[in-house]
Amino acid sequence: MPEPLPLPQSLSAEGWKVKIRNRERLEPPHATVIRGTRFWRWNLRSHQFMDRDPSPGDVPDELVRLLHVHHDDLVRRWDSVHPGNPVGTPEGE
Amino acid sequence: MVVLDPAGDPVQQDAADDREARYPQLMVVAEDLLRLRVSERSAYWVATSASPTSRFEPGERLGRDRLLVTEEIDTTLREYLEALFLDVVAGPPASFLPLDQMREVLASDDRQDLALGVLVRADREAVILIRGDLGRTVVSWSWFQPTPDGTAPDFGDVEVIDYGLTVRLGRYEAAVEAILYEFDREFRVRERQRRIEMDPSFGAALRRLRIQKGVPRSGFEGISEREIARIERSEVARPHASTLRAIADRLGVEPADIETY
Repeated sequence: MPEPLPLPQSLSAEGWKVKIRNRERLEPPHATVIRGTRFWRWNLRSHQFMDRDPSPGDVPDELVRLLHVHHDDLVRRWDSVHPGNPVGTPEGE
Repeated sequence: MVVLDPAGDPVQQDAADDREARYPQLMVVAEDLLRLRVSERSAYWVATSASPTSRFEPGERLGRDRLLVTEEIDTTLREYLEALFLDVVAGPPASFLPLDQMREVLASDDRQDLALGVLVRADREAVILIRGDLGRTVVSWSWFQPTPDGTAPDFGDVEVIDYGLTVRLGRYEAAVEAILYEFDREFRVRERQRRIEMDPSFGAALRRLRIQKGVPRSGFEGISEREIARIERSEVARPHASTLRAIADRLGVEPADIETY
């Protein structure tokens, strides 16, 4: 079960979620930040948002901080579900 | 039931609904009927039961409109509605987003890339994704591979969640964008324009596709692992046509589609 990253009440009450699902686009490894119909992909290799639209600036700083804090948990989660393309694999391999 | 007025204006509108204020083209025609005007001459209708469809009378100019009924309807009613509308989608209520989320999807500029609902056809082992533009995408059950953590899809317990961004199959979840990425070429083209940090080279596209399909570099008969690596690193400007065909065949796509990934 893709348990969402536990978020503080203030963020979850606003509808924010962070997920790694069983079926994702596999390259590059990422976690998905979701709010309503919008989503932002967080690259687990580069520690950056992957997309210009929607604007990464719309994601609260507190949530971005949590993505950094829980980086190892997210990597573990990705690697356990998608071992064919682990976070630790360099881009060129 | 509230009746649509002759001018086509909404007769029941929730003033507190910010979404409707921001998207005036989305109208609550009645408590069980929404209308989304998508162009000057066409609209999507969403009925949360069969009963509001009784307002659609023969001769009405609905031939450019699409209708979604979140309830199963009998064959005769479907035939009738299909004669009036450009397209009709119907299915059991549990298959669709709750109405508040459905309204968000319909009001979104990206509605075609979001799901309103999902239907399962067990005898064909297929999942049918109903998209926000009422288009459908059919996905074989075999695409929903169990993950190594022991989670397997349950095709008897399927719904769309997260405002149309995720399909849940029991404890298993699939990203709608992952479905569209594999099954909709137009989605991939839109994505390439929208996303950053995506190397636009042919080699990078091949790498993304190969990983998505779970094929190792050593998995191409007649093409060495080293050659695949060189292509992915763009050390080969453009592979020979026969190499390209062999790669495409192994990955189950047309050669011209590789660069869309």
